[in-house]
Amino acid sequence: MIEAKGLTKVYGGKAAVGGVSFTVQAGQVTGFLGPNGAGKSTTMRMVMGLDRPTSGTVTVNGLPYAEHKAPLHEVGALLDAKAVHTSRSAYNHLLAMAATHNIPKSRVHEVIEMTGLEAVAKKKAGGFSLGMGQRLGIAAALLGDPQTLILDEPVNGLDPEGVLWVRNLVRYLADQGKTVFLSSHLMSEMAQTADHLIVIGRGRIIADAPVEQIIAGTRQARTLVRTSSASQLSALLAGEGVKVDQSEAETLEVTGMDSRQIAQVALENRVLVYELTPQLSSLEDAYFDLTKDEVEYHSHLSGGPTEAYATATAGK
Amino acid sequence: MTTMTETRTPVRSTAGSGSVTFGGVLRSEWIKLRSLMSTRILLLLTLVAIIGVGGLAVLIRYSVLENMARTARDQGQTMTPDMMEKSFPPGSGFDLYNLPNAGLQIGILVLGSLAVLFISSEYATGMIRSTMNAVPRRTPAFVAKAILLAVVSYVITTLAAVVTFLIAMPVFRGLGFDLGWFTDGVLYSVFTGGLYVSGVALIGLSLGTLLRNSAGGITVLVGLFFVLSIASSFMTFIPGDFWKYVPQYIPSEAGGRFLSIGHTDGVIDPWQGGLIFLGYVLLFVVPAMIVLKKRDV
Repeated sequence: MIEAKGLTKVYGGKAAVGGVSFTVQAGQVTGFLGPNGAGKSTTMRMVMGLDRPTSGTVTVNGLPYAEHKAPLHEVGALLDAKAVHTSRSAYNHLLAMAATHNIPKSRVHEVIEMTGLEAVAKKKAGGFSLGMGQRLGIAAALLGDPQTLILDEPVNGLDPEGVLWVRNLVRYLADQGKTVFLSSHLMSEMAQTADHLIVIGRGRIIADAPVEQIIAGTRQARTLVRTSSASQLSALLAGEGVKVDQSEAETLEVTGMDSRQIAQVALENRVLVYELTPQLSSLEDAYFDLTKDEVEYHSHLSGGPTEAYATATAGK
Repeated sequence: MTTMTETRTPVRSTAGSGSVTFGGVLRSEWIKLRSLMSTRILLLLTLVAIIGVGGLAVLIRYSVLENMARTARDQGQTMTPDMMEKSFPPGSGFDLYNLPNAGLQIGILVLGSLAVLFISSEYATGMIRSTMNAVPRRTPAFVAKAILLAVVSYVITTLAAVVTFLIAMPVFRGLGFDLGWFTDGVLYSVFTGGLYVSGVALIGLSLGTLLRNSAGGITVLVGLFFVLSIASSFMTFIPGDFWKYVPQYIPSEAGGRFLSIGHTDGVIDPWQGGLIFLGYVLLFVVPAMIVLKKRDV
């Protein structure tokens, strides 16, 4: 369990994390979402005692990380895959970390095997690909068979097999009653893996709820309708609480009515409808809705695709 | 809050359930030190270089003394080894008891730089974050590094001193010098040279910690132990007696004085030199430990 209370980190007069409080429960996978620069990594670094909070406290399994007698057995963390001496072999890196807690050599071999690093374990870590470096970081996090796992962007650079492995691993560990706290920018991945989400933006918590609730709570259900007489149907559907958008000549997007009601209206008025698809809100939609005002670093071409194209070509 | 820790079942896994122990941290740092090929090669070359430079110094002193003896012989006089030795003032670099440490400057340069790198390379590569994850109290990791560097520096320097003296003995005996392990100051020289280099290594480790930068740390170290001693020799040209006494208090001179024997008028005694040098070591080590504990990594 991770408990943060009023956690604040100020860098050069600017609050990277501004007094966040949250609890990460054991027995489930908690996702940590937020735009770049929102304070995710800083928060995780404070949990691990790498950064000293400007104010506030954070405890893991009841104690600040540094006060545990066997920190590697309490928390395993992958904060950045580059926390390795580039000239040292993966095996020796893990061996050196294991030695601090008198973790047996056999466990080092075990995590190397678990993460699929056998073939490269004796090679210099500096030559590793992004994915291999990530695997080594995960191996280091698992070394102490910790109660709590903190993973910052664990699937970054992993191949599809690796992504699946991480998903299964964190699910398995959470089912074992362990605490899993992970961040990712891959929304579909997060939707599949996490039970609970904490969304942070500009150093503040914007949402802290179960995944289903976050997906469901943000948007009204929409239905995609394709019809040969779009303007006629559009006029028929219009009414109290119903919003109809025409995106293409024969395509409507209807909010405020479900597909059965739309079909009913079309049938009564003998309008041909050849597609009727309920649009499920995705975590991605929910995420964009939540963070649209909190994004610190807007992409330059932030308009729609056409606008982006226009901006891009305008300079030519 | 304590209920969490109380109700949890004890960790029983293949990872064991050991706590962080200082012995473990020491072993971890030892694995780090020996698992870098570059460090192993560097240590071996350092040993060879200290002996090599020492051997060269032996050769130079031999040829000077031999020349002196030959000149005397040509003039029909005999010059006893005792007379030859007396013709050089103490501390002029011809004290034979000091031969074991003839190559010491190389040791200072390389082992001091290695000490800087031992921690600054962790900052450069990001390894420091893994180190602090495993040892979040931080201080034990620094102390373990300090102990290892001090011991490794001491062993290499002392070993090189012994070999250098083994080379020197027959050479000077050939000139008639009664030179042996129990000649005044020889054993003192053999055993203190390593202490001095260990001290330099601790300053190097502290510089690496404070500056978190390899090039910066090594530059400051070289400045302290090589440039400063050259600069301070110019101080003696400043009129007034005061400036003549200042240079002996800089780290390299105080440390060098620690390695010599006997009282010389107007110069600090060896034990005073040793204490001053120890003061310098603490001047770097203490702030480094405080900063390491407090600073974000």
